[in-house]
Amino acid sequence: MSDQRRVVVEANNVWKIFGDRADEAMAEVQKSNISKAEVLERYECVVGVKDVSMSVREGEVFCIMGLSGSGKSTLVRHVNRLIEPTSGTIEINGTDVGSLNPEELRAMRADQIGMVFQNMALLPHRTVRDNIAFSLELRNVDAFRRAQAADAVIERVTLQGYGDRYPSELSGGMQQRVGLARALAADPEILLMDEPFSALDPLIRRGLQDEFLALSKEMNKTTLFITHDLDEAIRMGSRIAIMKDGEIVQTGTPEDIVTNPADEYVADFVQGISKLKLVFAHTVMVPVAKYEKDHKKLPAIKNCPQAGPEDDLDTLLTKVVDQDKPLIIMDDGKPVGVVTKDALLHAIKGET
Amino acid sequence: MSDENITGPFHEFADKSGDYYAKTFLKIQKNELPKAHINIAAALGSFIWASLRGNWLLFWIAFVVDLVTLVYLGSAYKFNKSLAGVLEEVAKYTADGNTAAASNKTLLIERYENWTSSSIMTAIVIFIAGRIIFGWLADKIYYRQYNTWRVDHTKPSGLKTNRLVMMTVVLALIAPLMIYRSTQFAPDARTCIKQDRAVVAGKDVSFQDRFNCKVISDFPTLFWIDRPDKVTFPRAEDGTRFIKREEATNKRPINLHTYVSGKIENVVGYLTAFHSYLFDGIKNVLQTLLNALEAVFVGTPWPIMMGALLAIAYYAAGVRIASFVGLSLGYLAFFGFWITAMETLTLVASATCVAIVIGLPLGIWVGKSKRGKAIVTPILDMMQTIPSFVYLLPAIAFFGIGVVPGILATVTFAMPPMVRLTSLGIQHVPESTKEAALAFGANPRQLLTKVELPLAMPSIMAGVNQVVMMSLSMVVVAALIGAGGMGFLVTDALARTDTGKGILAGVGIALLAMMIDRVVQKANKQ
Repeated sequence: MSDQRRVVVEANNVWKIFGDRADEAMAEVQKSNISKAEVLERYECVVGVKDVSMSVREGEVFCIMGLSGSGKSTLVRHVNRLIEPTSGTIEINGTDVGSLNPEELRAMRADQIGMVFQNMALLPHRTVRDNIAFSLELRNVDAFRRAQAADAVIERVTLQGYGDRYPSELSGGMQQRVGLARALAADPEILLMDEPFSALDPLIRRGLQDEFLALSKEMNKTTLFITHDLDEAIRMGSRIAIMKDGEIVQTGTPEDIVTNPADEYVADFVQGISKLKLVFAHTVMVPVAKYEKDHKKLPAIKNCPQAGPEDDLDTLLTKVVDQDKPLIIMDDGKPVGVVTKDALLHAIKGET
Repeated sequence: MSDENITGPFHEFADKSGDYYAKTFLKIQKNELPKAHINIAAALGSFIWASLRGNWLLFWIAFVVDLVTLVYLGSAYKFNKSLAGVLEEVAKYTADGNTAAASNKTLLIERYENWTSSSIMTAIVIFIAGRIIFGWLADKIYYRQYNTWRVDHTKPSGLKTNRLVMMTVVLALIAPLMIYRSTQFAPDARTCIKQDRAVVAGKDVSFQDRFNCKVISDFPTLFWIDRPDKVTFPRAEDGTRFIKREEATNKRPINLHTYVSGKIENVVGYLTAFHSYLFDGIKNVLQTLLNALEAVFVGTPWPIMMGALLAIAYYAAGVRIASFVGLSLGYLAFFGFWITAMETLTLVASATCVAIVIGLPLGIWVGKSKRGKAIVTPILDMMQTIPSFVYLLPAIAFFGIGVVPGILATVTFAMPPMVRLTSLGIQHVPESTKEAALAFGANPRQLLTKVELPLAMPSIMAGVNQVVMMSLSMVVVAALIGAGGMGFLVTDALARTDTGKGILAGVGIALLAMMIDRVVQKANKQ
């Protein structure tokens, strides 16, 4: 299933090595492929991002998941060039970010990219409205249009009535809405979210996640969403990249990641994740022919419970409960596969 | 756990006399050690015990106690020798029948006798009290050594005789000279200079005298420098200055101190003689600023000025502080300090303006650049620690007597907190906030004006307040070089030892400072 949507952000073999002798270390890495530990020992340099390539398509919520120190925040800061790559390129809509001059870079940051930070990073001496209009002010937009644009996003993030308050008067959840509104104010195409909800308590986090999903669908923003929480990544992401030690170890849809972990590391992560909403009928069913060969003949279809191939395990479960007959998966009115109770139980355990 | 298990490590640590230390340490741990507990072996063995046990803190305590005892005994010997000398003289006078001269010496004899006996008494008291205190301290400090040894077994433990070697070396290096010093009267600097000249002239000076001058007196003059030419900058007939060198009339060599201070004086003289336009320029700028501010503070009639100050205090800081300001202004007015106080305010305001104009950009530079910090910090340290009287002298040399050098001396003293607090404020702007501003496309100027300076503002304002306070504390010193104002009243009272006037003026300065401080602080908070 190839995606026809336009690529918005593309990273090609991005490396970031921190340290005084980063260039020497980079040359050596490219020549003889030495390990991170060797780079640290021989050049006293730390490898932050290691040979990362990815492409994020229009309207996608691309989650980058990894533990602290895995390089996810470093990677995302390459997109708006808050960090310069040691090697490799980042392209936004086909433009190489590294080739921009300072003025063009500032224009791109202000007009095309909005960023949300884990610690909000609001300006305490400005009101909520002035905080939100900050990027417009930096672009010398006049005060009237600034206020209009700010009020429009204030409404979007449901902060009506708080425009003239100061950030310190707001709760953590509301402050992060201000952060989000600030990122949206200039109506950028791309959103960079650096663990935006990590500092919030679970209930508020869930609420904001839902709101953000709705908003992002409605506004069709291309989003790079960083998180250290796999649950969040699965909830938010249309695709997920899992990072470890500066490398992307696996990229895929939430279902991919959960059902086909690329290695032990990812498998460890997904072990505790509930598969009910992530695995769909088409992955657990056996074709009718195979079923009939292994078992006896299929009972009459109209007596059996039925489901579609895109139904998740949760739906399948409700249908087979209190039933002896196998579950028939119907596509276009024809039976395409069978899910037995055993197959379902195995799938829930994560054994497909 | 039985006591034996607990005391095991104690035994291992103490090695010899393990039982004693195990018992003592256990008592320390259980908080059962008697108040008067003394380690007899330590009290008797003193620094030898401490070095055997490898505890150098205790070694130094014990060593100092015994050394001080010996030094007092040494001086007793010294005084006793002098006493013997005087007695001999008296005996000679009496034999000659010169009873008047003999009775003249009775006071001296009495004094030497007193000094001898009091030195011996002090020696005895220090020795006994010192040993008792040492014995009392010994086990407590030794227990701390045990604690460090538990963490790191390479730390000294047990009782080892090879540590005596170290002890002997330290002893040999320090004790003989200290004790020798106590038995000698140290020669003064003048005697030593004379001796130096005598040696150069080839006269015979005994080794002991030379040794005394070089080692137990002040740090010796190691080398003598030929006196350089005398440099002056007189005017020629057409009014221009020229450099005139004359051979020194006094041919005696001089030491490093005199040589370098002469050179510094030459440089200052040269700058004032040939580059006076520079200082005149600075002087003119400051004078203009001063005149403008003086027109405001002194030129405004007192009813308007008083009303204005009260209004500012009221709107900036509220009723309570405004009434304090009213009382203080009343004090200044009723005691006849009004104009003088306004002159002082002019001085403080000018100094503050200059300090801000120079200090704020400097502070931003220091806050943002590592190199700026490396360059400016030592200069600031110097500006603050050099006694203010020291830069009054060059200020006079360059700018003459008057208000301008007073302001410059004040600025030198009062500017460092402005720079420091500005840079502190800039440095404390959270990295994440700056990053956010950059992520939204801020350029360096916008970052500074829209993020860094506003966030650093409380710190910067605290810096301004500091500048004002420190300027006020300098007004008395600046008055010494003719800056006038309240400071002059104080220095004048000092010159006439007129206590009453001095106190009244001093209280006036204090009220002025408190007034400004309260208003500025309160205004900062709001």
